[in-house]
Amino acid sequence: MNLEKVVFGFFVVLAATLNFGFFIGDLGDPQMHSVYELFAAVVVNLVATVLKFGDRTQMGAVHLATSLVASLQLLAAAVVWTYAANVLTNGGLSPTQTATVVSLSGGALFANIVSVVLLVVETVSFQRR
Amino acid sequence: MDDPRVPELAPHLSSAGVFLVLRRMRVPLIVLIVIFAVSVLGLSLVPGQNAQGRPDRMDLFESFYFMSYTATTIGFGELPNEFTDAQRMWVTLTIFLAVIGWAYAIGSLLSLMQDQGFRQALARRGFTRSVRRMREPFLLLVGYGNATKMLARSLDDMGRRFVVIDNQEARVSAVELDSYRADAPALRGDARDTGLLTLAGLGHQTCAGVISLAGDDETNLDVAMTTALLRPDLPVIARSGSRDVADRMRAFHVQEVVNPSDRFGDHLRILLRSPAAYQLMSWLTSAPGTPAPRRFPPLPHGRWVVCGHGRYGEELSADLRAEGLEITEVHVSGGRVLAGEGDSAQVIESGHVSDAAAFVAATASDTTNLWLVEAARRANPDTFVVALQNRRANAPLFSAIGVDFGLVPAEVIAHEVLARLANPVLVRFLRQVPHQGDDWAAQLVDRLVTTCGRGTPELWRIRLSRDHAPALVGRLDERSLSLADLLRDPADRDDTLDIVALSLFREGERTMAPAGDLVLRVDDQLLLAGRPRARSALATTLTEVPTASYVVDGHRVPSSWVFRRLARVDSAGRRR
Repeated sequence: MNLEKVVFGFFVVLAATLNFGFFIGDLGDPQMHSVYELFAAVVVNLVATVLKFGDRTQMGAVHLATSLVASLQLLAAAVVWTYAANVLTNGGLSPTQTATVVSLSGGALFANIVSVVLLVVETVSFQRR
Repeated sequence: MDDPRVPELAPHLSSAGVFLVLRRMRVPLIVLIVIFAVSVLGLSLVPGQNAQGRPDRMDLFESFYFMSYTATTIGFGELPNEFTDAQRMWVTLTIFLAVIGWAYAIGSLLSLMQDQGFRQALARRGFTRSVRRMREPFLLLVGYGNATKMLARSLDDMGRRFVVIDNQEARVSAVELDSYRADAPALRGDARDTGLLTLAGLGHQTCAGVISLAGDDETNLDVAMTTALLRPDLPVIARSGSRDVADRMRAFHVQEVVNPSDRFGDHLRILLRSPAAYQLMSWLTSAPGTPAPRRFPPLPHGRWVVCGHGRYGEELSADLRAEGLEITEVHVSGGRVLAGEGDSAQVIESGHVSDAAAFVAATASDTTNLWLVEAARRANPDTFVVALQNRRANAPLFSAIGVDFGLVPAEVIAHEVLARLANPVLVRFLRQVPHQGDDWAAQLVDRLVTTCGRGTPELWRIRLSRDHAPALVGRLDERSLSLADLLRDPADRDDTLDIVALSLFREGERTMAPAGDLVLRVDDQLLLAGRPRARSALATTLTEVPTASYVVDGHRVPSSWVFRRLARVDSAGRRR
């Protein structure tokens, strides 16, 4: 067992699960989407992105690309949330604003799923050899 | 990368630097992210107060804002409200954590910038890029020693481009310090690595040749072999210190092998036979614009004492014996000053220097050569002293001690390579010079100085073929064109251009310094020396019909078709 692979797999999957946890629920209902979960998703996604730095293989390049997409989408969601909560309404979010944030995180979720698929493909093809 | 046999650049070489940074920065960046995340999350959870002093919490955005300016030590104070003691406790902890995290990340980045491997990767990247951008013909120089330096300077003066590889950092930086007019990419590395040669443009379509003058034979042999195998179309000039290596190079069809130690004997032989020929040869091969060197007085033909070591000394003695000299050989062990073994008095005594006509100090060490010369001078002040000057920097020492003839191998190599590059015909001409006699050479030098001025004349070759001299073909076929007529000035045909014909090559026969009344034929080749202005004037005579007609026959021929019809002349400029 390779510890590096464990850490890598852990962060990739955790990024996807946190993202999913934030995304799930009624799209426009602010009660169903915790800001702390978004915060955790952003942090874990950033860590996962950094973990993918410096891999020269083709697979590594695609991994990095998906993670960058996910991080950018989540950061955009966080910025929208902050702007909506602190500048526009001062407090809670309106259903439209919540929908924007959650759909952005939905895009990130898709990138994260691609990342997990890549991880699985990599693992499977490794065992076949 | 036209030639499919040239190995493609390995992809990792071009972007290695970026990947190295990313890979090394992984841990510091993750540490920073984690510290930040923990601090922000913690700060938003710790109980605080609002502006009225009632219990409240900071939200994530406020915590992030506070941590951003605190962690980077900007410190705007406690915003938006005054902190509670619980918040202050947490902030104290996070400040220490954040400072450590930043120090670690920035420290890693700085140490990476200092890292030898990283800097080399960057240098390699820049080098590869500038070689790839070369759009004009360039030469690949391997090794950047004294000889290559002189060669590079002359190449730069001639407006030619080059790329340098050397395995010593100091020499590579010297390329930058020597400040050439054109950009000269240089890289530190082992030229025996084929990948490196490829990076340096071996596979580049405008690479015009490879010159390997590195200090060790193995590198030169390797470079010569690699080039001969991968790019058989490129000319290679390589230096070799021994006959074995030279033979191995020739086995790979490397025609141009320069052997500096061999050349010392050759130069002495030419000088012995004809000082004027030596003067002519060293002038024609010197850097552009060099004034003619002084002519040596005839060398003494008595008994010569040769101080050398090993096979090199023997070869030198054999060369000199072949010129009919009586030789006394003295061996100096290893070329080093050894107490008891190589005592100067002993050397002088065993060589009987006191009644010798000349003394040759040709060991591989300049120090030894200097003390040998000094000792010989003391024993016999009238003797002619010849010394091998291994390092160019020692030239002032040798001139201070009063050497009659000194040879610097680096100069010899640079001159030879330059001659081969500038004009392959010149090299064949020079081989014939020693056989022409002293008077012939002396006359030629005088003619060159009077017609072309004091600087090294420009040397070029013309071919009187149908393609290269279309304006003269008719007259060449009639055999009515003499050399003197060809060299008349297009501005005024009573004047002669400032050109000296050095040799004529016709059907495998070479005529040295052909006379003016020689009748030229189609496909004759001429090696000419002259001023640049004369060169362009001659070019118009070769290609422009009206000019040719005026120069050769004295007719002023109209250049347009209508006036030519009126004057009743044909397109070759002759009257119908």
